Amino acid sequence: MSGAGAASRGSREPGPPGRVARLLLAPLVAWAIAFAVLPTAMLVACSFGRRGTLGGVEPGFSLAAWGRLLDPTVRVVLGRSVAWAGLATIACLVLAVPAAWTIARSAPRRRAWLLAAVVVPFWTSFLVRAYAWVTILKGEGLLNGALLAAGLVSAPIEMLYTPGAVLLGLVHTFLPFAILPVYATAEALDPALVEAASDLGAGPVRTFREVVLPLLGPGIAAAALLVFVPALGLYALNDVLGGGRVDMIGNLVADQFTGAARDWPFGAALSVALLLAFAVAWRLAGRGGSLAASLER
Amino acid sequence: MRRARRPRVPVLARVAALLVGTALVAACSRGAPAPEIAVFAWSEYVPSEVIDGFTAATGIRVNLETFASNEEMLAKLLSGATRYDVVQPSDYTVEALAREGRLQPIDASRIPNLGNVSPDFLHLPFDPGQRWTIPWMGGAVGIVVDSTKVDPGSIRSFADVFTEAHRGRIVVVDDPREIVSWALATEGLPINDVDEASLAKVEPVLRRWIPLVRVFDSDSPKRALLDGDVDLGVVWSGEGALLLDEDPRFRWILPAGGSHRFVDSLAIPVGARNPEGAHRFLDWVLRPEVSARISAAYPYTNPNLAARRLLSPRALANPASYPPGEAKLEFFRDVGTGAVLVDQLVARIKAGG
Repeated sequence: MSGAGAASRGSREPGPPGRVARLLLAPLVAWAIAFAVLPTAMLVACSFGRRGTLGGVEPGFSLAAWGRLLDPTVRVVLGRSVAWAGLATIACLVLAVPAAWTIARSAPRRRAWLLAAVVVPFWTSFLVRAYAWVTILKGEGLLNGALLAAGLVSAPIEMLYTPGAVLLGLVHTFLPFAILPVYATAEALDPALVEAASDLGAGPVRTFREVVLPLLGPGIAAAALLVFVPALGLYALNDVLGGGRVDMIGNLVADQFTGAARDWPFGAALSVALLLAFAVAWRLAGRGGSLAASLER
Repeated sequence: MRRARRPRVPVLARVAALLVGTALVAACSRGAPAPEIAVFAWSEYVPSEVIDGFTAATGIRVNLETFASNEEMLAKLLSGATRYDVVQPSDYTVEALAREGRLQPIDASRIPNLGNVSPDFLHLPFDPGQRWTIPWMGGAVGIVVDSTKVDPGSIRSFADVFTEAHRGRIVVVDDPREIVSWALATEGLPINDVDEASLAKVEPVLRRWIPLVRVFDSDSPKRALLDGDVDLGVVWSGEGALLLDEDPRFRWILPAGGSHRFVDSLAIPVGARNPEGAHRFLDWVLRPEVSARISAAYPYTNPNLAARRLLSPRALANPASYPPGEAKLEFFRDVGTGAVLVDQLVARIKAGG
């Protein structure tokens, strides 16, 4: 786009927001201040406080909570959480991309049904779905019953309370978050590009790899973020499907507030550190992304 | 592609005006408030028929909110977001709340049914003057064994549970203080002296025990046993009683070396809006027929002697609810910053560090 051409056509530059615009923005800004900025500020303040006897924070300044972040436990738990959330993200994407592509390319009527099939299970409470997996995976559960009846195994397999069960729960919980953004980009993709690729002699695999996948890039990136971030913080699945045996970072944070330790400053410091890590990663990813984009040009 | 612009703002404004309008009308039309009490209790502990019966008898509506740990209750109570009239802390939490001046004294003259309570459940170490609480249910922590998988005769103590033979077949309550207290008892140390020295002594024991556990679950430890996912466990006596009642293959064992006893109580926090209603609720749950209903749903040890007379012989014979003979049982005391050390140690071992 050439700046001179745009100016000569008299297209409007975004000037300072008018009164109406500011009025319209006000609720959003107020919401952000009340429910994002203020709580985060309170969390930061809390992390520098002293542990109250009954929980809570006592006035005073202490770096003890931040010092405990260097505890090897935090490193191990955080590393494991990142690994599990990463695995769940990869699994979700591997399932979501073909699914989203198929949905986007199907006839409108069929597409509506397929989309409903993605979204409707999501309306059930996530804990109910987690307990449904317990019924399926437990020692005397549906799956073991079926395997035993079919004579495929001679004794029940240990499926529940394993890392695999937690991963399964994570993928099941977050799959719609992965399918929908990829679907949105896939639907907007011009089918003519795919046709052009086949006309020019690319097979289906090559077309998908070299044309479709790069064009789905933004959707896939959004999907990865929408799965990874909440998966990293989730801890309930770990208790229900994992037997609470292996702590994730979310468990560690929650234990400081609702567990026996009652150490709010440490819980707050953990949360703030996690928030900072996300912000830095986001910045770096943004830089990397724009760098890659400028290199391509 | 552009879509035709629709007059979006006026529509939104109209909706907003409607919403505000209805809210105003609703706020103005509300007359004198119906009497109400806010009760904050453990989840799965207060049968709804007890609540409904109270409202039917007194006209006082009950706003029941639940929590899953004493600490969760403390966090919400101290935040002051809701002014609760009745809370349900366990023994060591009563001790901490009373010490910090967060409870108001109970007027025993307004609770005639307090006379139904066994002396064994009054003037306990966490409330020696019986000023702050009335007992709800008592219980202990003990061992449940699936006798089709493990010989009950081979299990006498906590140390017998945590052996290599039972690796991956054990469920325990998910509470660091509990497993640490079992290790302390096993080493012959007092369970309420928690400091760096005593924890260092039990650390090797915990390092052996914790990796053997398949499931940590405080909410419903009986589930893993019923589902056949584990063969034995260390659970609350109420959960044990339900298991024994459900299937005779389960056996209840109180460790010979002693175990932890607890009493969940009802108390009225400072700042309660309706202390009068709260006192009436306390008296209501101590009525023999009401208390017997609670026992039927949650078979812990009922402190109410008049209520026990209404229980079935089968319920009274359940050894998890009413252990025969004298067991060595001790209360948890508030251990202050020792709780942080306990949590840190168990988290470190669980993380494999």
